[in-house]
Amino acid sequence: MDLSVNFIGLSLKNPILISAGPLTGSGEMMRKAVEAGAGAVVTKTIANEIRSNVRPRLVKGEGGLHNIELYSDFTLEEWEGEIAYAKKHGAIVIANILGHTPSEIAYIAQKVERYGADAIELGVSCPHGEGLEGVASEPSALYEFTKAVVKRVKIPVMVKLSSNVANVVKLAKAAEKAGAAAISGIDTVRSIAGVDIETGQALLPTFGGYSGDAIRPIGLAAIASISEATSIPACGIGGITKHEHILEYMMLGASTVQVCTSIILNGHEHIGLLLDGLRGWMTQNGYESFDEIKGKALTSLKSFEEIKEEPYVSQVNEGCSISLCEKCKKACIYEAIEWTDGQVTVNPQRCTGCGLCVSICPQGIFELNWKD
Amino acid sequence: MANIREVAKQAGVSVATVSRVLNHPESVSATTMELVLATMEKMQYTPNGFARSLALNRSSTIALLIPNILNPLYPQIAKGVEDVAHQKGYNILLCNTEENKEKERDYLDMLIEKRVGGFILTSSQLENKDLQKIKNQNVPFVMVGRNIEDIDANMVFTDYYMGAYQITQHLIEVGYSKIAHITGSLNQIENLEKRRGYEKALEEAGISLQSQYIVEGNNEIEGGYLGAKKLLKSKEKPQAIFAANDLMAIGAIDAIKSSGLHIPEDVAIVGFDDITMAALIEPKLTTISQPVYKMGLIAARLLFESIENGQQEDGFQQKIFLQPKLKVRKSCGHENRVREIFN
Ligand SMILES: Cc1cc2nc3c(=O)[nH]c(=O)nc-3n(C[C@H](O)[C@H](O)[C@H](O)COP(=O)(O)O)c2cc1C
Repeated sequence: MDLSVNFIGLSLKNPILISAGPLTGSGEMMRKAVEAGAGAVVTKTIANEIRSNVRPRLVKGEGGLHNIELYSDFTLEEWEGEIAYAKKHGAIVIANILGHTPSEIAYIAQKVERYGADAIELGVSCPHGEGLEGVASEPSALYEFTKAVVKRVKIPVMVKLSSNVANVVKLAKAAEKAGAAAISGIDTVRSIAGVDIETGQALLPTFGGYSGDAIRPIGLAAIASISEATSIPACGIGGITKHEHILEYMMLGASTVQVCTSIILNGHEHIGLLLDGLRGWMTQNGYESFDEIKGKALTSLKSFEEIKEEPYVSQVNEGCSISLCEKCKKACIYEAIEWTDGQVTVNPQRCTGCGLCVSICPQGIFELNWKD
Repeated sequence: MANIREVAKQAGVSVATVSRVLNHPESVSATTMELVLATMEKMQYTPNGFARSLALNRSSTIALLIPNILNPLYPQIAKGVEDVAHQKGYNILLCNTEENKEKERDYLDMLIEKRVGGFILTSSQLENKDLQKIKNQNVPFVMVGRNIEDIDANMVFTDYYMGAYQITQHLIEVGYSKIAHITGSLNQIENLEKRRGYEKALEEAGISLQSQYIVEGNNEIEGGYLGAKKLLKSKEKPQAIFAANDLMAIGAIDAIKSSGLHIPEDVAIVGFDDITMAALIEPKLTTISQPVYKMGLIAARLLFESIENGQQEDGFQQKIFLQPKLKVRKSCGHENRVREIFN
């Protein structure tokens, strides 16, 4: 299957973009990403003023990666060469930019447009380094920022959102109204890496951002809300580690996706694995274009009011062969799961059909059925 | 005849590299050396600054006019300008205007005569008619800080009113109601703007203005010292003092300490500017951070764009506004540390 997509007027050979971060910090890095197969690259955040990065700044936690990294180490002038280099090697370059007022960010936008960027992503949603409120976390402010940039450049403008906000839909709508060509999200989630309890010291010396597997459900929720609320394309970011995750984002409305952490952790060859998996699944399932799956799962999302109350209870399909596991029994809040002589049974009188055992069982022996 | 920038561009190296070939050949690799020298020959480049500026009619120097180098705010602007100018292969002439219109005009005449490549005018007192003179000579210029007159020029500025409003509001949030203000010299609009921000915040909080709580300083440490002494003598001493710049705040801290009082327990102090010293003195000063270094960077960027490309193709005037930012430290008596961490 041909993986190519048209996104905000750009012809991409596939929908996987490498997101703003250390993997796109220089022309050389962007070239590597493209040679490894990325459909496009989003530069590390470009700003007027360099703020040097602290050491250390990355910690791998159980479910994801914490970082307290700030912006690019290159000056605005130096980015001219970096972007040109990446483009010379065939990269489609989306410049991620930051400014602290509408006029400032519009100025940088116009600069990177001249440097040859194919599109712009507004990087105004980083959860650290910009105060508790962030740069533009109010819809009215985001509108002004986006508007100023859209007015100043001819290339398409995408707005990157964070989930560290009260109402992501209002922000997405403000960006759309201001003329954004697409919304991307999510940026990292504000976090603290942990505490070394022996020394009583936080693992990293300030608040940072969380990324990787753990934040995917948060990203999926954001993309689903954004897709429902706006009519511009969405670009899904957050915790994509397998090709299935890309499909999940697409089925919730994304046209393209961005990946950072899983490539940091698994190397550039991981881009190839994602692409192979994506192509394989699409072909196997008889799809010819991503349009056929885009937003497919959105209709399955309902309001509580619409969800019918059905008399589900858990039932055991087959015998359990891991006798010492007992995960289901321990996790059953309602004490409905019983073990007798190595046999699992569910007491339908006690079971409330919560469904936890279905997802907790390593063997998948439970199923929800209507109570007889 | 080519200039150093054209040579650099042609050779695909930075201006700094070409300059090293000329002045410190030992620090350049043999291949780079060969490439640069060959390019110079091909482009008939003579590394003679004077001859070149004659030929170009403009020198590789830009002028930076600032009010006063002794105010720690301005070296930061100069550093921002220099960081860009160096990459472009230019050097900088620094002039102190001392906020004196005549002195500024004299400099202007001198510098135009010297054929500087462009001007950056900081807190300029000049009027439109003066600037017209620069325009007539086709010398590019950029203004830093807003001018009294509505001037048709590329400009980088910040909002003093908003900064003063923010920091006064912060003092009110901490819980003070008797808040005094040591103003800067009131013949400068930025200081009038700051006073207006202070007054607006009090008014919005329903705190009535008291004339005894507003004293004029002179932008210097002594002004802050004397201002604070005077405020401490008022019938009801203020709970907090907002000094219109950090230097005056430092003077005020000295005055309060020497009266045997404690900061912030007896009197809280906040400043404006966020000079380096603000994070070093005891107690660390809560202040408004002015993005001065960034203003220098952007001013230089705008200037070099005009020098290199002439006017913007679409005749767009760049008026870039930078946001002042509240930096919460210790001197305001704020207990909530999370604000400090998120500075
Ligand atoms: C080390 C690191 C640095 C990052 N730097 C930036 C950045 O400069 N600008 C930006 O918009 N996002 C930045 N991000 C956020 C990523 O672009 C992405 O939104 C986030 O990591 C979620 O995707 P992931 O789970 O695939 O990593 C960074 C992420 C990491 C892990």
